[in-house]
Amino acid sequence: MRSIWAVAVNTIKQAVRMKIAAVFIILLLVLLPVMGLTMTGDGTLKGRAQTFVSYGLSLSSLLLCLLTIAVATYTITSDFEHKQVYTVLTKPIRRFQLLLGKLLGVILLSSALLVLFSAAIYAITIYMPHLSGAGEDELLQAQNEFYTARAGLTPAEVDVTAEVEQVFEKRLKTGQLPPEVLTSQNTRRNYKAAVAERLKLAKRAAAPSRELVWEFDNVRPLDPNQSLFVRFKYDVSVNPPDLQIYSKWLIGDVRQLRYGMVETPVYDFSRKDLIRTFHEIEVPADAVAEDGYLAVVFFNVPLNNTTVIFPPKDGLEVLYKADVFGANYIRAVLLILLRLVFLAALGILAASFLSFPVALLLCLAVFFTANISGFILESFDFLSENVSGVYSYTLKPVIHLLPQFDKISPTKFLVPARLLSWSLLAEAAALMICVKALILLLAALLIFRYREIAKTII
Amino acid sequence: MIMQYAVETFSLTKVFSDWWGRDKVYAVDELNLQVQYNEVFGLLGPNGSGKTTTLKMLMGLLYPTSGRAVVLGGDSSNPKISTRIGFLPEESYLYRYLNARETLDFYGRLFGLPPKVRKMRIEALLNMVGLKAVANRPVGTYSKGMARRIGLAQALINDPDLLILDEPTTGLDPIGTRQIKDLIGQLAKRGKTVLLCSHLLADVEDVCDRIAILYSGKIQAKGKVRELLQQTHKTQITTGSISETTVEKIKQLVATEQADCVVTSPMDKLETFFINTVVAAQQQAGAAAGAVSTGRISDFLTAEHIEESILDKLVSATQTADKSKPVTPATRSQPAATETEKVAPPDSSQGEADEKLLEKLTKQQAEPPQPKPVTKTESAESEADSHQDHKTILDQLTEARDEDQKQTGNHQGD
Repeated sequence: MRSIWAVAVNTIKQAVRMKIAAVFIILLLVLLPVMGLTMTGDGTLKGRAQTFVSYGLSLSSLLLCLLTIAVATYTITSDFEHKQVYTVLTKPIRRFQLLLGKLLGVILLSSALLVLFSAAIYAITIYMPHLSGAGEDELLQAQNEFYTARAGLTPAEVDVTAEVEQVFEKRLKTGQLPPEVLTSQNTRRNYKAAVAERLKLAKRAAAPSRELVWEFDNVRPLDPNQSLFVRFKYDVSVNPPDLQIYSKWLIGDVRQLRYGMVETPVYDFSRKDLIRTFHEIEVPADAVAEDGYLAVVFFNVPLNNTTVIFPPKDGLEVLYKADVFGANYIRAVLLILLRLVFLAALGILAASFLSFPVALLLCLAVFFTANISGFILESFDFLSENVSGVYSYTLKPVIHLLPQFDKISPTKFLVPARLLSWSLLAEAAALMICVKALILLLAALLIFRYREIAKTII
Repeated sequence: MIMQYAVETFSLTKVFSDWWGRDKVYAVDELNLQVQYNEVFGLLGPNGSGKTTTLKMLMGLLYPTSGRAVVLGGDSSNPKISTRIGFLPEESYLYRYLNARETLDFYGRLFGLPPKVRKMRIEALLNMVGLKAVANRPVGTYSKGMARRIGLAQALINDPDLLILDEPTTGLDPIGTRQIKDLIGQLAKRGKTVLLCSHLLADVEDVCDRIAILYSGKIQAKGKVRELLQQTHKTQITTGSISETTVEKIKQLVATEQADCVVTSPMDKLETFFINTVVAAQQQAGAAAGAVSTGRISDFLTAEHIEESILDKLVSATQTADKSKPVTPATRSQPAATETEKVAPPDSSQGEADEKLLEKLTKQQAEPPQPKPVTKTESAESEADSHQDHKTILDQLTEARDEDQKQTGNHQGD
């Protein structure tokens, strides 16, 4: 343990004295305040804060990722290049201890810088309202929609496979199916998918004088005296003349209405909203029942004379304050730390058998791939339909070993003030560190254990 | 199993192959090498004869193609064994961004030395290699000789039982070279084993007990230096300045034995001349900018254990009692006697001159003997030496000689 620590300290000294870290520190310390002053976003306080946090954190994350990769690969390959490893490994230190020491040093260095930068960004963000001279409204808006951590609940996707089968069977019997559908497996599947799409849409659509009911469980607002928000967007089948939709809403524990005993309030609203833009209804949080149940009922007023559709994914959402901004920010920063740990392990692995330029290139390739992993995974899944057997046993496991940096990016949570829960963070940590980084590290230790140190290949 | 040899190789072979795996070079070929405990063994050979490859295999930096190497009874990659080894590679591979003190501290930490011992040894070693004045400069700015000195210091920080040195004197000035030779002698006297490889024959000749000459990976000759080099059919007589008539008489005397006789004045060795010149220069100019020639050898490498407290005394007393018979044949003979025999060149008058000069250097450069920090440091291994003198080897040498007539050892067993 002592020798691991000695190596770690030496690694940090190396990174600091070789001015690798200094370049990044100066870059960030110059860029951050400049960004804080110049970024305006949409002009409001909320917009400014959002843009600053988004760009600041992304930039810090990017630079720290590059720094981690560079230091991790350099510190090991330079030991081989300049042969200090001859004097180190002939001392009473095991090879795995050398690698672990290097890894520890890299992680400590990156973590320290991460703490420094994220603290700077946090401080600037927090002081923004004091400096901006924004009005009361803007302050309140920023307070409710940015300086907070809101949990968002979207209606669960309805499972329609059974219904699809029913419809399909019925049409098959009655001969309503177009004949070409039955020719192959593929056309049959496509047809069913189309039916499913239509059925799902029907669940999100309300004809005039019809209603839609969404039920949510597990709504846990931080403070019942505060508000929760129903955020929604309309789509319509026929555009109304003034592009406005008249609606009635009931929000609360509607189960009580059936039994006639009202304990928690049920709020009702009559509204007129522009279509195809987001709106939020503010509701006192005491509408949520004791057991975390909340229902949202939408009634399509007959005079609209058009079917109202809530688009999939972001058509309707219930937002409530679940945590404070600071705590959410810390978790978002921890999410960056996970990346850094993974990249450090990756750098160590690459450097355990490659020379510096090659190792660096490999790590950069993996890093940038990980940043667009969602796109890559989707496109591979799509393209490989015909060679699924080969693909799913060869390339697929490798691609899935990549971390998915884009899937859980910190700014995705901070900008819309979404709650990044501990459980989500733990899940990401388990996958990225305990599985993926550990596999890389074990591979590195194994390779390094058997590597012939003084060997030169020409 | 008690190992007979400190280092032993069994048909050690190393073949370097090319990228395709075809055999290219037999760097070391079926090498059977035995280095006994407590000897100074020299591995000689021209460039590319496989000396360094052999050492790297001993240290586990290269894997043998076949055969095996046993170091101190085991595998040198085992921490228990590498704790007892000091290794100096063919160049001092150091972290350029660390300064000398940090470098030694780093290696000391790898050995798990406690902070006090580490600090004490670092200062002692910096003094010894004469880099104290530049200890806060990054090692990357050092000259080759200075880097070599730090390399040597890192090999000694654990007070090793077995010292493996690859070309220890390359890049060193003659004073540094001489110092290393003295150090090797001193370590051997303490029962340590030294394996060094070199192609500087003069160095090897001065310090080694036994040598092996390597060529293209095979041992061509091996044996004791004296036996290999002594010309048994010749006799050399050195006298003070004598008159022509006496020379004639001797010549006549020799003629009666039917032997040839050549009479010349002995030449100064270049080493002596060099040291002479440096002494003169130092008297004029004072300290140099780079490494300083101290001629001192670190106390902890020569002798230790200045008891500080009663507890320490008690502990060490019991330990010494336990080890009244040292396991290692630690003291081969009395310091004064050995030194002339081992270190001094064959011509004893010259040897004496050398030492006097070196002593001058030392006296001039050396700081006053430092108050020793707590040195309850060494474990059992150095107990045998614990009551030795803690003066530097060169001080010992000269003082012992002076006091020989009057009275011996007034600081022995203090």
